[in-house]
Amino acid sequence: MSPFFSNKKLIVLLVCIILLVALVGYSTSDRKTLTWPEQLVQDSVGTVQSAFSRPAHLVAGFFGNIQDIRNVYEENRILKSQLDDYASTQVELEELRRQNEELQGQLDLEEDLFDYTSRSALVIQRSPDRWNEQIGINKGSQNGIEENQAVMTSKGLIGKVDQVSQFSATVQLLSDTDVTNRISAIVSSDETIQGFIEGIDEETGHLRFSKIDMEADLEDGQTVSTSGLGGVFPAGLEIGEIVDYENDEYGLTKTAFVEPSAEFYHLDHVMIVDRSASALEEEIDPALTGEDDES
Amino acid sequence: MIVRYGFFLLLFAVLVFEGTVYQVFAPDFYGFPYSLIPRFLFVMIVFAGIYRGRGYALFYGILFGAVYDIVYSQVLGVYTFGMAFFAYILSMPIPAIKRSLPLTVTLIMVGFILLEYFVYGMMILTESTELPHNMFLYNRLLPSAVMNALFITVIAHPLRLWFEYIERHQNDF
Repeated sequence: MSPFFSNKKLIVLLVCIILLVALVGYSTSDRKTLTWPEQLVQDSVGTVQSAFSRPAHLVAGFFGNIQDIRNVYEENRILKSQLDDYASTQVELEELRRQNEELQGQLDLEEDLFDYTSRSALVIQRSPDRWNEQIGINKGSQNGIEENQAVMTSKGLIGKVDQVSQFSATVQLLSDTDVTNRISAIVSSDETIQGFIEGIDEETGHLRFSKIDMEADLEDGQTVSTSGLGGVFPAGLEIGEIVDYENDEYGLTKTAFVEPSAEFYHLDHVMIVDRSASALEEEIDPALTGEDDES
Repeated sequence: MIVRYGFFLLLFAVLVFEGTVYQVFAPDFYGFPYSLIPRFLFVMIVFAGIYRGRGYALFYGILFGAVYDIVYSQVLGVYTFGMAFFAYILSMPIPAIKRSLPLTVTLIMVGFILLEYFVYGMMILTESTELPHNMFLYNRLLPSAVMNALFITVIAHPLRLWFEYIERHQNDF
């Protein structure tokens, strides 16, 4: 057998390592779009993946249904007990909605941060090496998907669109520990408490809700939702409930732990949310009016 | 056709399977405490390298490593380099290894562990993970190694028969 590395092979290996470092550096810099070879590969593999994942979801759904049937009696009992509350809440909701519309009409508010439209998509893949919590969906820029749009299931927010190609896209879940995975969120209570959802605690599986004001009154069980202040997310998408909180390591802000309301496993269909309100009003957006406001 | 492109198509199907069907039924989503990472594609490439020569391992390693990078990973280049390099250095076409199944499986598992450590190192380097080493070792590496070893043990015999069939029919083309 020839020796592992003759001189020529060693040089090839060194060149390969240099290429590796260059590629890693290129892909970790924050680039916005995928290059066309990447889009081509992702789309063509995505087509085959849809063909594989549809039957898999069907089979998994079938077993899920059997599980559901066994729980029907218990669930029915609980739901019936909640039904009485429902009627009175419904009346109240109608009243508030009417009032809200009236008041908004008086103020000439046409769109706000709560307005959104959603598209549904099928989950076609999930990263098998689990180093990044990322899923693939079968809709891409041809279907109007854009980067950083919020992605949710019926239970709540699960992540944001990360990379978009023509006919498929990847979604970064809230549980991804990447440093750039950050979402602006608020706690709904008497006062508004703002902070960022930044990754997940590996051991407990709770989301980290950090950079909260030191003075804020946090309580267990408060609901955390998106604030709509950071970029393209609409406001009011539910994220989860606070289960624990502590001061951060420097004692300047608080960090809360949030039990996510959506589960990040067993995803089959997701909704991609498109906020209708534009990010900034046209007259105050410096990019559109061309004024420089460096003063 | 099936002789010439069969193994390529099989590897492609395995690549897609790892990300779709396996993920729908992944045991850790159903409450299994350890994460079982499928590396079926890589162990099959090393197996092909041992039986069919280094060139195959290098070619399939680069090709499927690149696709794996683009489709499943955020950081390009990690699997392209890792799969090709470790498949290349571990494809030892020695008759003694070819004849003995335990030796083959051991060699492939060495490759698996090297690849996992390489990728873990790259993920730490690019700050994509904060997983401590003992969690990585006990919750991820060892259980996955057992699963992949079982996988390659099961498919070793059919694959070997297939390779022998290809060798015999290669001259027909």
